[in-house]
Amino acid sequence: MTDQTLPTTAVPADDAVTREPFLDRYRKPLLGALAVVLFFAFWQAIYLFIPLNTLFMSKPSLIFLGLWDLIVTGELWHDLAVSAQPFFIGFIAAVFVGVAIGIVMGWRQRVGYALDPLMTVFYASPLVALAPLVVVFFGVGISGKAIIIFLLSVFPFIFNAAAGVRAVDRLLINVVRSLGGTEKDLYVKVIIPSVLPYIVAGARIAIGRALVGVLVGEFFAASEGIGYAIAKFGDLFAIDKMFACILVVMVIAVILTEGFRWAERAAFPWRVGQ
Amino acid sequence: MSEQAIDAPIVAAEDTGAPPKNLWRQLEPTMLGVGSIVAMLVVWELFPHLVPIREGTKLFFTTPSAIVGTLWNLFASGAIWRPLGVSASGFAIGLGLSIVVALPLGVILGRSKSANALFDPFITAFNATPRLVFLPLLVLWFGLGLWSKVVIVFIGALFPLLINTYEGVRNADKVLINVVRSFGAKEWDIARLVVVPNSMPYIVAGLRLAIGRAILGVVVAEFFGSEDGLGVMMVRASGSYQVDVVFAGLIVFAAISLVMTSLVRMLEVRLTRWRPQHVSEF
Repeated sequence: MTDQTLPTTAVPADDAVTREPFLDRYRKPLLGALAVVLFFAFWQAIYLFIPLNTLFMSKPSLIFLGLWDLIVTGELWHDLAVSAQPFFIGFIAAVFVGVAIGIVMGWRQRVGYALDPLMTVFYASPLVALAPLVVVFFGVGISGKAIIIFLLSVFPFIFNAAAGVRAVDRLLINVVRSLGGTEKDLYVKVIIPSVLPYIVAGARIAIGRALVGVLVGEFFAASEGIGYAIAKFGDLFAIDKMFACILVVMVIAVILTEGFRWAERAAFPWRVGQ
Repeated sequence: MSEQAIDAPIVAAEDTGAPPKNLWRQLEPTMLGVGSIVAMLVVWELFPHLVPIREGTKLFFTTPSAIVGTLWNLFASGAIWRPLGVSASGFAIGLGLSIVVALPLGVILGRSKSANALFDPFITAFNATPRLVFLPLLVLWFGLGLWSKVVIVFIGALFPLLINTYEGVRNADKVLINVVRSFGAKEWDIARLVVVPNSMPYIVAGLRLAIGRAILGVVVAEFFGSEDGLGVMMVRASGSYQVDVVFAGLIVFAAISLVMTSLVRMLEVRLTRWRPQHVSEF
């Protein structure tokens, strides 16, 4: 039966026959954009009918004014730059350490047996809970935050790199060897293309956890940074700027996560669907 | 039993003539795994005896035996029950609400392309954003009590459940849906008879993820916006250098997470018993 496909083709046909392919193709992003616009319009419009208590709520026009203010005064860039520093240090350290441990765990079976349960215990326990301790021990500067971020984001790299190495096709290795490939060919043509998609997928998971690390570190103890700004504006009841900062964090989070997803699709199209 | 007997020679043959598996080879993974954990604990326990630690640093150091002792004291004196109860109620209410909301919404999004297109930007945005970012706002709205915690747990647990339910519904067998529809089933019957049973493994997998997120939500909510609970206990302890209490709290949280996850795994086995093996391992 064609029931399943009928509704989708029927709806654009009602509109205009000539534009059918366009609407059909971009139906999802168009509807999505429409929903976002409607959401903000409704948010803005509802305060025409009910009074706005600016102590607890805000509306889009005020939020964008607040955002504009933060941009013009340069406060936003400063806070973002401060937050970015430990973020990159912690994240890049997690990439190197995590991938190195993961590759050894995947390559040497015994190391895998030995470390797998230990790493699972660490991964499963809410390591955020150690944040107060890290802050007390390493202080409120870059190092404390970077260590929290590292701790939170290293495990996806370990597990994914190990899984990637285990998934290397032995047959392909043998083929390259039989056809006279060198050790370099082996790495360039088989091992790296096989492991890299797993690492990028791990990075996508780790990014989210690293962002949690930034916020935890800055909520706890900081004097600048985007997480601190959100907490500060909350304490000051500056709801417009608080919403503006929250929006900025949301946009950054979406860009980073979707960026990695896009990179996965663009660089490793053969892996899509796994 | 017979499967292993068939398996072994094949593996051995691929391993270029390795000796057949003996007892040690079978026990090796477990022994090495347990061994590494035991070794870590022993090194940790002996560390202060072997390496001189400065007085100042000692404040931040604890040993497994001290942690176990603290844990025992917390339970024996009953001091842990009140904060544990506060944390557990926030966890349970938030997770329950997220299940109640996510399952119907996930089924609707899976069945209707338009609804999916409308909701997709919001789901993507909220799923990518660390939920923690909303905490100051929620504390402002709901205060320092139970409800800001419940909302954080709810938002955290909602999205894995929602996305997995959606994926499960999308992957339901189209032929079965058409068969049921040919026999005159309405959308409600399709959901009840085909879609929900088919997406059960996805939903349960989502539930496992959601539990982890919910525990994380309880921890962070109590760190920054709460007056009572295990997380509050841990923050206060770290402020007064009672490192063993912090680790004891971490162990309790990890244990809750572990117990809940294995309960869900049992549920998974029970719910998917009727299903052929290869389908449930998606």
